[in-house]
Amino acid sequence: MVEAVITLLRRLSLLSVLLALTPAGFAHRLDEYLQATLVAIEPDEIRLQINLTPGVAVAENVLAQIDRDQDGAISKNEVAAYAESLKRDFTIRLDERDLELQLTASKFPAPADLRTGRGIIQAEFFVVSGKLASGAHRLTLENRHLPEISVYLFNAARPESGTIQINRQKRNENQSSGEIEFALQPTRSA
Amino acid sequence: MRKTFVSLVVTAGMIPLAATSLPAQEATPPASPSSSSTPAGEIAAAAKTFLDTLDDTLRSQLVYDFNDREQRRRWSNFPSPIFERGGLRMGDLTQAQRAAAMTVLAAALSPEGYEKVLRIVEADQALKETGSGGLEGPGRGPGGRRGGPGGGLIFGHDNYYISFLGEPSASEPWMIQFGGHHLAINLTLAGERGTLAPSHTGAQPAIYEIEGKMVRPLGDETDKAFALFSSLDETQRQQALIGAKMHDLVLGPGRDGQTIAPEGIQGSALSDKQREMLLDLAGEWTGIQNEAHARTRMEEMKKNIVRTWFAWSGPTEKGGAAYFRIQGPTIIIEYAPQRMGGDATGHIHTIYRDPTNDYGVKWLKP
Repeated sequence: MVEAVITLLRRLSLLSVLLALTPAGFAHRLDEYLQATLVAIEPDEIRLQINLTPGVAVAENVLAQIDRDQDGAISKNEVAAYAESLKRDFTIRLDERDLELQLTASKFPAPADLRTGRGIIQAEFFVVSGKLASGAHRLTLENRHLPEISVYLFNAARPESGTIQINRQKRNENQSSGEIEFALQPTRSA
Repeated sequence: MRKTFVSLVVTAGMIPLAATSLPAQEATPPASPSSSSTPAGEIAAAAKTFLDTLDDTLRSQLVYDFNDREQRRRWSNFPSPIFERGGLRMGDLTQAQRAAAMTVLAAALSPEGYEKVLRIVEADQALKETGSGGLEGPGRGPGGRRGGPGGGLIFGHDNYYISFLGEPSASEPWMIQFGGHHLAINLTLAGERGTLAPSHTGAQPAIYEIEGKMVRPLGDETDKAFALFSSLDETQRQQALIGAKMHDLVLGPGRDGQTIAPEGIQGSALSDKQREMLLDLAGEWTGIQNEAHARTRMEEMKKNIVRTWFAWSGPTEKGGAAYFRIQGPTIIIEYAPQRMGGDATGHIHTIYRDPTNDYGVKWLKP
């Protein structure tokens, strides 16, 4: 109990120090949850790589979403539950067709690291799209996860396959939604 | 009034170079290490001289195994104690040891690159001295432990760290890391080859005063970028503009291995003069390295200039908090004002990467 109080006091001490600093003095992201989505498009698959970095001032809010039983640890079930909530907040479409997401990998730092403001939650989703047909395509993505505290980045990854050409990227102003126009070049037969 | 830049860095054990653009006071260049005549030999010799100033304990803290993946990636824009760095903390070294450490850096970087590093570090000292930081946290004990959990943020030139991966050598691969708040120099050397990719430079404050003179650690980057954007005609500008707020670097610290599709205006759509301006702008990052390494990087860029992109986001008038990106086959540079309240132009983060050769990986394949 005493240790828990000391730990809480230390966290509050760090948080209060950070919040007391003027914006001109020290302006690292404190009260925002940075959600950076990278869309990797290849001929046989589309993946979302999402890096989520809560600032110090919002880390407890984010942790409350993850550590549901508030035991100070993030269990496998809680990881799965949070990934599911992320999935629900993403809408992805290919050529106007809604697509499903499947979680393929995730990495959750310890709560203590998340509280420092430098812990990064990583989640990767496979987009169930089927094999892409040759020709032009348009992928759209909308991220509605925790908009009250979040800032967003949306980018297409550079394709590894030479047959995928990213032609254009568009984003709304805060990058919570984005669009990628791309083309799959037909492969030449031998 | 703040002391001169030169006297401050000398006090801090950092050896300044002749500073033509800094307030007038003649600077003392570092003592030339006795060594072979090749840059690789000079760097290795300087590193060995530094090692000779250390006892076994400090040496073991400085030098990591070359294959230590965790240390290789242990760099950040964050200050202590949010981010804990490896290696030796400058504030824990004697003056002589610090001077020897900085001589390594001076040997490894160009004069302009070394000066840029000093200016970035001095900006952090300015951040500490203006009262917005510098709260020394508890837990700093023997061996250079940094402020522990629950302690304040720690700014200033004492809080930069140096480390080596591998033993200094004129022929075998090894790595120099030097970094702290808003700085991460990751220099991988393999014989006469060297790369700074990936490295981070930043500044906060982005402008500060010494004896009435203004110092802008990233001023050249900013001015050249605006000059390039201003040179674009309306059609070119529309191609260059990313129509969204860029809140941060996309490929900053922690984003090793990630790549993004290029955007903006391609080099093929630029005039010869604009391509020169683009190369000159990129040179603010590639030119941090010593002349030989920088020349190689620039030649690579020139070969690929028509396939190099320039993208812009945010204000287009000079002085605005604009984001820009340069991306080509062998280079990615991002420059991102940090929009977190206050004047974003006063707090800049940048990143330099080589998608083909971060950490010199293509020289190290068996």
